[in-house]
Amino acid sequence: MTSLSRRAFVTAAAAPLLAGCGGGDRTGRATAGLREGPPPPSRPAAGTARALGRSVPVGLEIPAIGVDTPVMPLGLARDRTVQVPPLTADDVAGWYRHSPTPGQIGPSVILGHVTVGVHGDGVFRHLARLRRGDLIVARLENGTAAVFAVGPVRTVAKADFPTDAVYGDVDRPELRLITCGGPRTGEEYRDNVIVFATSSPAGP
Amino acid sequence: MRRTVFSAAALACTAVWASAVPAFADDPAPAAEATVVPSASPEPAGAPEPTEAPKPTESPEPAPAGEGSTGGVSVVPSGAPDTGAVPEPARAGAEAGLIGGGAAAVLAAGGAAVFLVRRRATGA
Repeated sequence: MTSLSRRAFVTAAAAPLLAGCGGGDRTGRATAGLREGPPPPSRPAAGTARALGRSVPVGLEIPAIGVDTPVMPLGLARDRTVQVPPLTADDVAGWYRHSPTPGQIGPSVILGHVTVGVHGDGVFRHLARLRRGDLIVARLENGTAAVFAVGPVRTVAKADFPTDAVYGDVDRPELRLITCGGPRTGEEYRDNVIVFATSSPAGP
Repeated sequence: MRRTVFSAAALACTAVWASAVPAFADDPAPAAEATVVPSASPEPAGAPEPTEAPKPTESPEPAPAGEGSTGGVSVVPSGAPDTGAVPEPARAGAEAGLIGGGAAAVLAAGGAAVFLVRRRATGA
């Protein structure tokens, strides 16, 4: 084979392989729906705040993981499971409307997606990164805000979902943030990530 | 003669890449859509019930706690929330890579053909 022939042959055979290696963006749209910024330092909780009046949450901020999202109301699905926000590129969190509003006595429950299918990351993509003392601010419809400090962050198998711990009565204002996590089993995630937070007098 | 055989082999190889790769890359997209959409919430964004008039298609759900509620979850959901539809960027990325590969194969085939034609023309 002459030099030119060899060069042509090698070029033709190798080009598709090289293009195939370099062309795949396996994390494409990885930040869709998540407004992220540099995480500020978290502040520890300082005591417990008093309970607030009832006012529906309209927004949620979690500075430590760059979350600043509107909050929509959620109810029950036909199978009696809790509804979840729709799968859209502009992912938002949702407040379970049969739970107390943030700042009322009891566990207020807010859910968000970890990923939203073809749209990439969900609004709670980095929920599992929260640490004790990180602040969560729920903006309320009446213009006030309820501030919480992160407590335990648990990753539990969906099969062993801790219903009582999440929805059970408590004697102070608390917040639960829920998303999915853990390894994927087929089309879904195996676990739930649950953040337990308590009311904090600290401001945002 | 030998040169002609190798030239033909190069062209055949690139032609196979060019035709087979895009056809293969086209396949997963509909499947990916089909598997993601059904896993969505049964009700879309606007679906959560308006407070004033529940729709007949809604699940039989008690009214939410109102102004006078003293706290606590009034209706405990069953099961665990499904808050994660598995992302498809891997598939999409693979598609993009394969399409890019197909395009590169076409370019390579063209390049190879130009080499051969020029070489024959110049008698090298």
